Amino acid sequence: MPETTPQMVRITIDGMTVNVPKGTLVIEAARRVGVMIPHFCYHPKLKPDANCRMCLVEIEKMPKLQTACSTPVDEGMNVRTATTVVDDAHKSVLEFILANHPLDCPVCDQGGKCDLQDFSHQYTAASRFVETKRIFQKEYFSPLIETQMNRCVQCLRCVRYCDEVMDVKALAPVGRGTMTEIKYFGSHPLDCEFCGGCVQICPVGAITSRLSMYEYRPWMLKRAETICGYCGDGCQITVQTKGQELIEVNSAHGAGRNNGDLCARGFFGFHAATDPHRLTHPLIRRDGVLVQTTWEEALEYVAARVGEIKAAHGGQTFGGLISGRCTNEDLYLFQKFLRMAVGTNNIDSSARYGHVNGLHAMQLVQGTHRWTVTFDDILDADVLILVGTNITETNPITGLKVKEAVKKRRATLMTIESLEPVVDTMSNIANLSHHHFRIPTDDTHHAILGLVKAVVEQNLTQPDLAQRHPAYLNAVTSALQQTSWQDLQAATGIEPDSFMRAAKVAAGARRVVILAGQLLLRSEHGYNGCVTLLDLLLLTGKLDSPGCGFAPLAEENNDQGAVEMGTVTEFLPGVRPVAGGADRERIAKQWNGDLPTDRGASLIEMLDRAHTGSLKAMFIVGENPVGSLPATIHAERSLRNLDLLVCQELFLTETAALAHVVLPVASSMEKHGTFTNTEGHVQAVRPSIEPVGESRPDWEVFSALSILLDSPMEYAESKEILKEIRSLIPDYGSLGPTPLPAKVDRSAMDRYLTVGYQRDLTTRYQPKVRASRPDGTVRLELAQSLFHSGKLSTRSKGLLQVEGSGRLRINPLDAARFALSDGDRVRLSSTSGEMTTEVKIMERVPQGTAWFPYHFGQTAVRLFECAIDPITQVPSFRTATVSIMKVA
Amino acid sequence: MLKDKYGKEIEEILSRYPVKRSALIPLLYVAQRDQGYVTESAMHEIAHLLKLTPPQVYETITFYTMFNLKPMGKFHIQVCKSLMCALVGSDTVIEWIKAKLRIAPGESTADGLFSLSVVECLAACGTAPMMQINDDYYEQLTENKLDRILADLRSIGTSPLKSGPFMWPEPLNVER
Amino acid sequence: MPQHELILLKNMMQPGYTGSLADYEKTGGYQALRNTLGKIAPPDVTAMVRKSGLRGRGGAGFPTGVKWGFLPKDYQGPRYLCCNADESEPGTFKDRQLMERDPHQVLEGIVLACYAIGAETAYIYIRGEMVLGSKILEQAIGEARVAGYIGKNILGTGINADVWVHRGAGAYICGEETALLESLEGKRGLPRVKPPFPATHGLYNKPTVVNNVETLANLPHIINRGPEWFAAIGSPPKSTGTRVFCVSGHVKRPGNYEIPMGMTVRELVYEHAGGMRSDKPMKAFIPGGASAPFLTPAHLDVKLDFEHVAAAGSMLGSGGVTVMEEGTSIVWAALRLMEFFYHESCGKCSPCREGSSWLVQTLRRILARRGRMEDLETLSDLCKNIAGRTVCAFGDAAVAPIQSTLKHWRQEYVDLINEAEVANLIRLEPAGRH
Ligand SMILES: Cc1cc2nc3c(=O)[nH]c(=O)nc-3n(C[C@H](O)[C@H](O)[C@H](O)COP(=O)(O)O)c2cc1C
Ligand code: SF4
Ligand code: FES
Repeated sequence: MPETTPQMVRITIDGMTVNVPKGTLVIEAARRVGVMIPHFCYHPKLKPDANCRMCLVEIEKMPKLQTACSTPVDEGMNVRTATTVVDDAHKSVLEFILANHPLDCPVCDQGGKCDLQDFSHQYTAASRFVETKRIFQKEYFSPLIETQMNRCVQCLRCVRYCDEVMDVKALAPVGRGTMTEIKYFGSHPLDCEFCGGCVQICPVGAITSRLSMYEYRPWMLKRAETICGYCGDGCQITVQTKGQELIEVNSAHGAGRNNGDLCARGFFGFHAATDPHRLTHPLIRRDGVLVQTTWEEALEYVAARVGEIKAAHGGQTFGGLISGRCTNEDLYLFQKFLRMAVGTNNIDSSARYGHVNGLHAMQLVQGTHRWTVTFDDILDADVLILVGTNITETNPITGLKVKEAVKKRRATLMTIESLEPVVDTMSNIANLSHHHFRIPTDDTHHAILGLVKAVVEQNLTQPDLAQRHPAYLNAVTSALQQTSWQDLQAATGIEPDSFMRAAKVAAGARRVVILAGQLLLRSEHGYNGCVTLLDLLLLTGKLDSPGCGFAPLAEENNDQGAVEMGTVTEFLPGVRPVAGGADRERIAKQWNGDLPTDRGASLIEMLDRAHTGSLKAMFIVGENPVGSLPATIHAERSLRNLDLLVCQELFLTETAALAHVVLPVASSMEKHGTFTNTEGHVQAVRPSIEPVGESRPDWEVFSALSILLDSPMEYAESKEILKEIRSLIPDYGSLGPTPLPAKVDRSAMDRYLTVGYQRDLTTRYQPKVRASRPDGTVRLELAQSLFHSGKLSTRSKGLLQVEGSGRLRINPLDAARFALSDGDRVRLSSTSGEMTTEVKIMERVPQGTAWFPYHFGQTAVRLFECAIDPITQVPSFRTATVSIMKVA
Repeated sequence: MLKDKYGKEIEEILSRYPVKRSALIPLLYVAQRDQGYVTESAMHEIAHLLKLTPPQVYETITFYTMFNLKPMGKFHIQVCKSLMCALVGSDTVIEWIKAKLRIAPGESTADGLFSLSVVECLAACGTAPMMQINDDYYEQLTENKLDRILADLRSIGTSPLKSGPFMWPEPLNVER
Repeated sequence: MPQHELILLKNMMQPGYTGSLADYEKTGGYQALRNTLGKIAPPDVTAMVRKSGLRGRGGAGFPTGVKWGFLPKDYQGPRYLCCNADESEPGTFKDRQLMERDPHQVLEGIVLACYAIGAETAYIYIRGEMVLGSKILEQAIGEARVAGYIGKNILGTGINADVWVHRGAGAYICGEETALLESLEGKRGLPRVKPPFPATHGLYNKPTVVNNVETLANLPHIINRGPEWFAAIGSPPKSTGTRVFCVSGHVKRPGNYEIPMGMTVRELVYEHAGGMRSDKPMKAFIPGGASAPFLTPAHLDVKLDFEHVAAAGSMLGSGGVTVMEEGTSIVWAALRLMEFFYHESCGKCSPCREGSSWLVQTLRRILARRGRMEDLETLSDLCKNIAGRTVCAFGDAAVAPIQSTLKHWRQEYVDLINEAEVANLIRLEPAGRH
């Protein structure tokens, strides 16, 4: 596809002349010269439908008035929007639209932000309508969405959004003529993705959010622009508040990386911060129980204990674990505090659960730790390869980009997923896929191998690779020769031919983006799989081509920031190795002290050391290893062994309950800072409410402790920390608009091609045959749910109304096999443990597999074994074999 | 399941169209023939067959007047009330049927035999007044004819008074 | 009785003619197909049709050959023909007769059109209520398929044309060509915004021609007897050929009459349809289906062709001629039609959707003697505000009955409203006086 600059045409609007690309809609061209043409049904995200007829304008040489929203401009067009004829038309259309519209603005939740209200004022519309208005029966729509169909102006923006943008199609215009109303289908409440798109896009008050009904008027609210704290997509949100009350979240069209689109978590999940169970005071353990205390006492106690333990055993007996939900400023100061004030490299964060797998792979092969592509490259891609990511649930907004690329820009989509492609009222990316490799999650890496093998066997490798790096190519080729198609087919159930065809398409395309998700990153083969995917790009010559790249998706909002801030044991800020070199010197100099020299421990090692007694104290910030790690890790036993456990938390988690001191901290709704999204975009977080109770931002705690420990790290506000971060990491130089993506470091790539690949090539290319599952069992997988993110969202009243508890999702055929129906209770048992739960039948779950949402997984994790990646130290516990038994 | 009962017919219908969704209306007719109306489970099944969401089936079905979403009488009487029929007495026909069956438009008789609807033009204006009962047209109605038709339906389930291939006026030399 | 030669109804007027394939072949049926396929180049067929002056019989009267010419010339890939058999315009019932009595005539026209435009698939979109018609067509298609007139490799020429009957399900708007396409795609029958037109973006977004049943039925005759022959019939150059007029209402012999275009309404009503059914004189008539404005007896000598009817302030439309005798309430008649349009408005665009319900309610109020003088201005304003501002031509059609009756019979509205005012006066009399 050659890049063509669009042909420009010259047109006149109300006497003003503009040059715009040919094909621009008149309504958009007018907007450019500041002429706002009134409209209801038009929305830049949707295909023109021209149904409201509000936007009529005069166009010279056309006999009738034309709809500006559906008419593309053409050379020499002369548009008039302010003549009496046009004004008359606008008035008359408004009169029609108002005919059946109730005059209930005073009690309407849209009041004050309603297009219809605005236009009515503008045209001082007085309706001559004296007949009876239509009345619809009130219907219960859903716990989150309220409809008032009497107010509907039938612009169908909601229905069109649900179809064209979300690809969900949960809303139906029902009936015909004036009696058309928007409904869902079936004898149950609306059952959809709850992205809130219909609420946001409705120009009147026909569809509103139930979370904020009748409580406020828009002008009474305060607004804060900030970043959603749930997933790594990093959506921009506007949080509206009244005092300390969170009222509503929305996102303006055009705003942020999400362009105003949100998912259920972003739109309906904002109440977590004000959950009544928030910790509001510091707690200290006295006589075995946690009791309320003051900040002074708590901090002094902690400082004193740290001093004693450090004096007795040394800094390396300390460890720290922090959540990737904290701001960069919190993360940065945490590791600086541990490294400088305490003196240890035993640092880890939630990025360890999987995100580091992708980053280590990128470091090895391309010498960067960031995407070399952006969301815009996803939109522009010719081929998109999704691997192990139920993307519409884990990273819904990146998922939207994929949908747009496929639906509107004709990208070819390949998916290596376990999803069954079934159509229902929740997106299922497999439905859009052109090459769907439906394989069990454990076999994801086998499918990757299949693709690479198909590339090599069909000679689709980049020609000069053979000349420049023959050893690499030979090694890969001969490793693949050991791998037979029979084995791959046995593991994946996919015919070689399918791999061949997909490989041809991918290799022949110009812009190829590979997106890897949690199902790969958090799996046993996470790291290997990522390196092999990078091999795929290398072999086809795409790794360093423009518009191509490998993009691991961050599950937690700031996993990327966590690694870049140095809150993993192996990296200093800027993802510099702890081990040594110029960077280490530079950082030490900047910090004005000596960096600890030990090879630090990662999460699982820290827990092991705590168990054996060589780790004495831990700071745990926003993480809950007791609740999230499988039983075999024995996190609780290890933590109980510590002489000092300090937790900073929003809620009293299982882990915090073991602590000696618990410090209440502010959520991201209550503080300033920055988050780095999955594509490496650094974005500003701003508070919408005051810190709840006595809580404080995490960084303030580290700063206060550092002073008490005599190595003061003082900052007046988080901005000063950011300034320091900037001086160390150039990537943090600017906030805001699309950053230039990172570039492949050619020397690193060459290093990989000459030596780097050798480390584990043969093991990577060796298919591991899985033991077959015994009859009567299913493969249990911990899955992501669209309605939750981590555990935080399970504190949000809105989301709990859609999904209030974890239920075991199984395929109808399995349900039949075990004689189960929706809602039945079952007991699951594995060799490691057992649990009981309820069943939810879902056709998209592959046969033989059951999914349990890990957000409710405290009891479920017991069933899993844990495997540790020898290179990246990632603990993986995503699949288990369980038997199912119905219980009363 | 429709698929079990009408598998072959469904396949044949699907084969006529390059895009599955086109088979929606034909399949809804199959479902309606089966039960007299389109059930919720039929809509689910059809959605599944055509890879549509159930709301997509629902929005289509509710746009058209010929699909019933609830059970109907065995004989669905639809009398045209548009101007051309009204000019020559369709209102009388409606009153007559209302009186005979003691039901208003939109209702069904208690024995489940008849449902009455008043509809718009059915393309038989030259032979008005007219009505349609299930698949058949009855034209040039008179009170007499109406009585006979209702009686026939009750006794033999159909009526010889229904229209054959349409032609009006008939050629002069053909006796009627 | 007809002095002129019948074209479309000729076969079926023969005693004993059943419309079977054998009967049709006996009258020279499918000769046109034999003489055309592989023998005349498709563009030449289109040229012949253009030369014949044939204009669409579905309502808009667009020249058929010109429409075919809009299809992209160099486009590879499927094209479609849709035969518009949705016949739902009140007052129109000719297509039903053409399909039920002489289905092969329509089918031959369809295959000829497919050949001319390069379509290998045709769908006959027949209104859902016409169950008998669809069965007859399906049976005829079966016969024609066996005989090699339809299907793969027609008559050994290597040309393919499959024809399928697709039943609608009760929606007048699906006669509008883009709504028809939406409906055929299994969706709600909402008209599309044009451009793009079906010629480039039609069924499944592919080049498509939509033609009315009667339009297509003319094709075999044009081929057999030459475009010049056809172009000489009727009221050339703009209105060639015959039309099957559907006469309904207060006449002695309602029914379908095929006459050359250009004959007067008077002739059609008084000579063919036997005149008024009783001794009451004619009060009003509609010349072209419910969408055409009403005319008065003063227009009885208007020639029934496209230009003359248009000049008289109405349109030839679908050829449905409805006659009303003296004593018919004009406001009532307008309401009956308005109720139809209200019932059938698809609801896509606001002026038509809201306007039609508003108009119906206002007319009902006037007829119920609750009208006000301002209503008259509101009525004509609403009509003006709907016309020309909607997505499809339905909006223009819907206001025709009110606009034209207000123009010719305003006094009837005024009288009804005056009655209302009197009624109000009585109601307003102070209580307590006896
Ligand atoms: C509201 C509306 C209803 C229509 N209904 C019909 C119809 O029932 N049958 C028909 O042939 N054309 C109907 N038409 C006209 C079609 O849109 C289209 O012009 C016609 O099918 C083209 O065929 P022709 O060129 O052969 O006339 C209708 C148009 C409108 C605007
Ligand atoms: S004019 Fe009427 S029928 Fe046509 S699109 Fe608009 S609402 Fe539908
Ligand atoms: S905005 Fe143009 S018709 Fe609605």
